[in-house]
Amino acid sequence: MCSSRDSVDRLHELCAVYYEKRHTNCPSCRMLGYIWQCFYSSCLRFWLKWFLRLVTGRCELQRICARCKAGALRTSQIEYSLKSSKSKVLQTALSVKQNELEDRLAQIIQEKRIKEQKDPTFKVNLRQCLLQINGYNELFEEVEELRKKVFDSENEQHENMLLKLWDLLMPSVKLESRITKQWGNIGFQGDDPKTDFRGMGMLGLTNLLFFSEKHTDAARQVLSHANHPTLGYSYAIVGINLTEMAYSLMKSDALKLHFYNSVSGKAEMQHFHQFYCYLAYEFDKFWLQEEPESIMEFNRYREKFHDKVKGHLQEPEVTLTLTPNPEN
Amino acid sequence: MGLLTILKKMKHKEREMRLLMLGLDNAGKTTILKKFNGEDVSTISPTLGFNIKTLEHRGFKLNIWDVGGQKPLRSYWRNYFESTDGLVWVVDSADRLRLDDCRKELNALLLEERLAGATLLVFANKQDLPGALSKDGIREVLALDDIKTHHWCIVGCSAVTGENLLSGVDWLLDDIAARIFTTD
Repeated sequence: MCSSRDSVDRLHELCAVYYEKRHTNCPSCRMLGYIWQCFYSSCLRFWLKWFLRLVTGRCELQRICARCKAGALRTSQIEYSLKSSKSKVLQTALSVKQNELEDRLAQIIQEKRIKEQKDPTFKVNLRQCLLQINGYNELFEEVEELRKKVFDSENEQHENMLLKLWDLLMPSVKLESRITKQWGNIGFQGDDPKTDFRGMGMLGLTNLLFFSEKHTDAARQVLSHANHPTLGYSYAIVGINLTEMAYSLMKSDALKLHFYNSVSGKAEMQHFHQFYCYLAYEFDKFWLQEEPESIMEFNRYREKFHDKVKGHLQEPEVTLTLTPNPEN
Repeated sequence: MGLLTILKKMKHKEREMRLLMLGLDNAGKTTILKKFNGEDVSTISPTLGFNIKTLEHRGFKLNIWDVGGQKPLRSYWRNYFESTDGLVWVVDSADRLRLDDCRKELNALLLEERLAGATLLVFANKQDLPGALSKDGIREVLALDDIKTHHWCIVGCSAVTGENLLSGVDWLLDDIAARIFTTD
């Protein structure tokens, strides 16, 4: 009985996987995909779920929690299940505030008529999934807010952050004045870095500072590569371009699997910064390996690097963290 | 075979123009390009290298090259001069301290042989900012009236609001078209 239950479950999972797959290359595949999608979501999914509920005595959410280990696999399937649910209680569970979470969990258990005594771990597991799902959206709002904050020379805190960045990256050189050509040594464009933050605002500066603060050796190593006479690039503005990459990946939900795997509760700002550190460190390695002709090729290699990272981010087990090698 | 010949003929007749957009860093070149193309301009970061966009406007196919303006990149500008029909020089009208720099860079470009036939459009950008110098102010500081070698025009604009971008580009296209498509 147990094995047949498993195989039915697997069939269901396969259907869901097929549904998720995008056959975008060939028009006839796309057509078939559409027909399959319509058929699956409007009819087949419902009956499969009904049948499985009858056989296993558990609802889809319970089956997912029992079948998948904690992480992206479980959380993204829970997310998909909630999103395609016809019940308002389940659907809107994708956007609840942290303080409403307990009430919502109780409502879901009531709505799906789940017997908690029979499945004691379910509530704990579902809570964790909801924390991760809602945490991602909340984190993106925080990231967006920081991005919109413009660097302001009148703001002492902003100024101090900028000066601290210099001290961390160039410990042996003193900054002669606030407006100076020296900023070029850490890869800003002109005499005053403030114009370089542009669309990325304080998010760009916070990312740069976080990398230098938490991974000082790695950041200095990257800076030394960036100042290479032939393979060099502008450290700070490449960094700001990478902030843009991290931001748009997060915006397009491409970071979900990574966060679901690497943060067991709500993802915080520091986790976004950590991801930026990974990008900054890995981009440097990538650039040196590829040996581009000049900095004018930047956008081509940026695209190539972006595609590579995006490829990793689609793997179900993905966690991208900075692991420095102790070289030069 | 028939279709291919027609396609080739059409390509031949296609009215294609190459525009090169230059200026100091933070002048707003990428923002102008994106705004003109109807894209979001709120998340732009400094340009390393260049961006190229091909777009259709008034029946012309425009290849617009937007090259980074950071000082170390300026030595690469010359790699993009070849067969340029129009030069768009973008000025940050609020950055008064660097207008002198801006004039010198522009003058150097106008001496370039490979840009000799190009029409010059100067965008006095960021007119929406409170400290911005007016279009006529920019015209004076950059000594545009001394230019005898190129057809030129200055347009005050704001890349963020999109104000006057269209009228500037339209003037540029008219001027280029009158020069190179006169046989049509």
